[in-house]
Amino acid sequence: MKHSKERLMQKITLPFILALTGLFLLSACEKNITLNIPEAEQQLVVEGYIYENTFPYIFLTKSSPFFSELDSATLQKYIVRGATVIISDGFTTDTMAEFDSMYVHLYYSLNMTGVVGRSYSLRIESEGKVVTASTYLPPAIQLDSTWWKPDGNKDSLGFAWAHLTDPDTLGNYYRWFAKRINRFTYGDHIGEQKDSIFIAPLGSTFEDRFINGKSFDFAYNRGQLANSDKEDDGFSDERGYFKKGDTIVVKWCTYDQANFRFWRDAEQQIQSNGNPFSNPAPVLGNIEGGLGVFGGYGVSYDTIIAR
Amino acid sequence: MHNHIKFFILTILFSYFSLATIAQKYTVSGYVKEARSGESLLGANVYLKETLQGTQTNQYGFYSLTVPAGKYTLIFSYIGFDEQKFEISLNKNLQQNIELGEKTVETKEVTVHGEREDHNVEGIQMGRDKIEIEQLKKLPAFMGEVDILKSIQLLPGVQSGGEGNTGFYVRGGSLDQNLILLDEATVYNASHMFGFFSVFNSDAIQNATLTKGGMPAQYGGRLSSVLDIQMKEGNNKTYHMDAGIGPVASRLTVQGPIKKDVSSFIASGRRSFIDLFLGEPFVDKNSRTFGNKYYFYDLNLKVNYRLSDKDRLFLSGYFGRDVFKFKSPTTDFSLKIPWGNATGTARWNHLFNQKLFVNTSLIFTNYDFSFEGGQEKFSFKLFSGITDYNFKSDFTWLPGVRNNIRFGMNYVYHIFVPSHASAESNDVVFDLGKIVHQYAHDAAVYFNDEYDLSDKLKVSGGLRGTFFQQVGPFDRYLKDPLTGRTSDTISYASGKPVKTYWHVEPRASLRYSINHTSSLKASYTQNYQYLHLASLSSLSLPTDLWIPSSDRVRPQFATQYALGYFKNFKENVFETSVEVYYKTMEHQIEYEPGYTPDGGINDNADNGFVFGRGWSYGAEFFVKKAKGRFSGWIGYTLAWTYRKFPELNLGEKYFAKHDRRHDVSVVLMYELGQRLTFGATWVYATGDLNTMPKSVYFINGQITYDYGSNIYNYRIPAYHRLDVSVTLKNKPGKKFRTSWNLSVFNAYNRANPYVIYLADESDYTKGTFKIQAKQVSLFPIIPSITYNISF
Repeated sequence: MKHSKERLMQKITLPFILALTGLFLLSACEKNITLNIPEAEQQLVVEGYIYENTFPYIFLTKSSPFFSELDSATLQKYIVRGATVIISDGFTTDTMAEFDSMYVHLYYSLNMTGVVGRSYSLRIESEGKVVTASTYLPPAIQLDSTWWKPDGNKDSLGFAWAHLTDPDTLGNYYRWFAKRINRFTYGDHIGEQKDSIFIAPLGSTFEDRFINGKSFDFAYNRGQLANSDKEDDGFSDERGYFKKGDTIVVKWCTYDQANFRFWRDAEQQIQSNGNPFSNPAPVLGNIEGGLGVFGGYGVSYDTIIAR
Repeated sequence: MHNHIKFFILTILFSYFSLATIAQKYTVSGYVKEARSGESLLGANVYLKETLQGTQTNQYGFYSLTVPAGKYTLIFSYIGFDEQKFEISLNKNLQQNIELGEKTVETKEVTVHGEREDHNVEGIQMGRDKIEIEQLKKLPAFMGEVDILKSIQLLPGVQSGGEGNTGFYVRGGSLDQNLILLDEATVYNASHMFGFFSVFNSDAIQNATLTKGGMPAQYGGRLSSVLDIQMKEGNNKTYHMDAGIGPVASRLTVQGPIKKDVSSFIASGRRSFIDLFLGEPFVDKNSRTFGNKYYFYDLNLKVNYRLSDKDRLFLSGYFGRDVFKFKSPTTDFSLKIPWGNATGTARWNHLFNQKLFVNTSLIFTNYDFSFEGGQEKFSFKLFSGITDYNFKSDFTWLPGVRNNIRFGMNYVYHIFVPSHASAESNDVVFDLGKIVHQYAHDAAVYFNDEYDLSDKLKVSGGLRGTFFQQVGPFDRYLKDPLTGRTSDTISYASGKPVKTYWHVEPRASLRYSINHTSSLKASYTQNYQYLHLASLSSLSLPTDLWIPSSDRVRPQFATQYALGYFKNFKENVFETSVEVYYKTMEHQIEYEPGYTPDGGINDNADNGFVFGRGWSYGAEFFVKKAKGRFSGWIGYTLAWTYRKFPELNLGEKYFAKHDRRHDVSVVLMYELGQRLTFGATWVYATGDLNTMPKSVYFINGQITYDYGSNIYNYRIPAYHRLDVSVTLKNKPGKKFRTSWNLSVFNAYNRANPYVIYLADESDYTKGTFKIQAKQVSLFPIIPSITYNISF
């Protein structure tokens, strides 16, 4: 959330860091070094989702040594194939099927979909290792309204805004995704839909600890995928902006606290990448015996036409 | 049998009262001052040539010696000053005030001083160092700023808090375990500009004493050390002005008599001027640093008034601020962050009689930090701080030449604002909870006696009784252990005790003289610390919070054992010592893993703490050449420092972040003629420990670090650096005294690690992934010139 107080608070040391960087950048010098750190045991990494009314799917990989250089080919080694993945929603227990293509590898189940109020458990067995996880799918909370507004004096670039009324009960955790469904009318990707999937911008998640029961406006910038090669990402001036004329579908989700913490910390780690003054920001997941996260998402949708 | 007991009792009595019961005794007492300025001289040696019995002046320059009637030669000496002798005939109590003049004529050979220049061997104190500001001014200074906090880091057993940092670690203790006093007032955040400069303006400071072991009972409240800094009193004879300009800041000091020999004042100011270079035309309007404004300043004021021969009044104050402002050149985002200390001390010295001296003080201390930011309709404010009201009464009683008794009491009322935030967007005010102040009573009584059991053996024993009570109003937010959310609140009414602690801290030390040039010393101390500094970062940031002991946080507790061998060579030209210590620290504090501060909203700052213990042991070697044209010292510390926390590192012991195996300081000064002084310092320290990830994994296509459970698994490379300086004074005898100081920091341009961090250098579009470790070095070779003028 662009105007989240929590994030601002977490970043309270940032201005000092900026000042430090500013004052001493002139004299500071930087060099690459090699760290000698003992190699750690490989762990199973789970990234699992079960959205409301949607089939569950998980990505299963292994952790890799810290300083090994990887490319798409070597990365294949880290994909876990042939694992036994069992999912249960308390009513149905299913062994998830494996889908393996050149571009994507995942485990899925067509025998259940996400249902509000249900708890889901996961048990994965692979190469003698067992990991487990569980999550809860909370009810979605609708946004009151959504709109697009230009940023400052820019006329065609802006942010997606929303009005939220947080319920009185404490303990709501939100996550924002957006997808532009209009097509590029120019450039290398002409004719393609601007976003093929829902993208969460950095800082996509927040909790109601400071806003419990309040009704307020907030805004999000546009996120981008790590491997994006679109012309309005990367170093483009349009990076982070929704453009006048875009049709934006907002996927507004709720999930449990463990998921909130995981994504908050994971996004914070990305944001602190390359910041010499950041502290180690561990990311705690909810996978027993392994790494990663498994989450049930309550979902509501809104569509914004930027004009 | 009966006779045996009688003899035994008599022996004890005799050893206690010795000469006292035989001869009539008289007292000679008075003040020792510096001749040119009338400033009190602390720690001047006063002794009788005939018996070699003697004492040192206290921090107000007062001394008192009680000896049998007779004729004596009374000798006053102080390093760098001409010795003075008086023939006295003690057949009644005498008052002898004296002014010592600075050595003006430089003799070719080393002057042979009185026998008492061996205070390091003769005194009972161990683990104690006195620092003269005038001496420091001859050493290389970082960016031209003479800095007492950086200079003490050159002493053995004291480790630097990091590159260019004023923070320091003493014998394995943490940064918050050092009590820093400025004219008795606690300075809670002693640094400017993220620790690069201390708040102590060298022109306003007279001297400082660092006690790192064998702490006598009059000191307490911190586990590791006490740095007692004295402000100058002001010249009570003539008016003087000192001005200086260096690359970072400029200074101006005015001092003089209000009424000659009776009262004087000093006013000293310092301000940085880097901000002048952070705007146009020096910084490009499009650069990231444009829009920044940063400055700091200090003001020191002191007035003293001699009410009578027996009464003296001191008023002193300090006010300093750092201000950081940022206004984005492109958006309307702006920030203002001021922080700083204010202290005020009123002191009254009273001499009841020649043997009983009392100093009574009223002290005020404040540190606060605030942070205001906003963009468009969103605004945000954060505030934290600590305020103390302190009353102190300290008695020095010198019943005889063998006894030096200190006793007194101290009461402090603390007000803490661990941190309070408010935020609003449009007209919506966010619920950031109540302001959670914390209040505490903090009191101590103490008694310490330094006693000469025999010519060979001197003992010092003391007790310090301490009391700490957190009182309401206070809200304790209880956390649900599973969700981490506030599940319940306990409210305490105003004045109602939340938690009470009281403890007795024994202190003992002894000195055994092997001969005139060597001695063995031992000490045992226990200390409690009721205030804690919570720091998330390795940098000393102004956001660091002081937090009291409470129902959740127990006081820190340390026990230290130290043993030392002291020997002087060649008529005290060379002083050497070896000290070994073992220290245990209980109830140490760290943040729980992964804790993110959120400004104490419906939460207590100490809810994020975990508790554990620490211990440290080591040996400190010290060789000093105190006299002659060529002087200096070499200090070497070999030490091990551990921590053990149930919640950290899987509950196994680990090396503390600042565990440093080797720490070396070399300090050299050479005076070439009367005008030219060369200085050099070299430091070496084993690198700190850092926490690095064990492995990486992919989430959402992005590299994520797995830190695992082990902490401090990587030791960064060693730190070493050479600084050199040349100081050139103008010809003596001129009305204007000027000096140029050229300092070269990091003379051989060593790229010392300041921080080591990881950068994700993956090219996600090409599908290649790489993590690169990078070392940032802050200061390359930096020459600086400072010009000082005084008249």
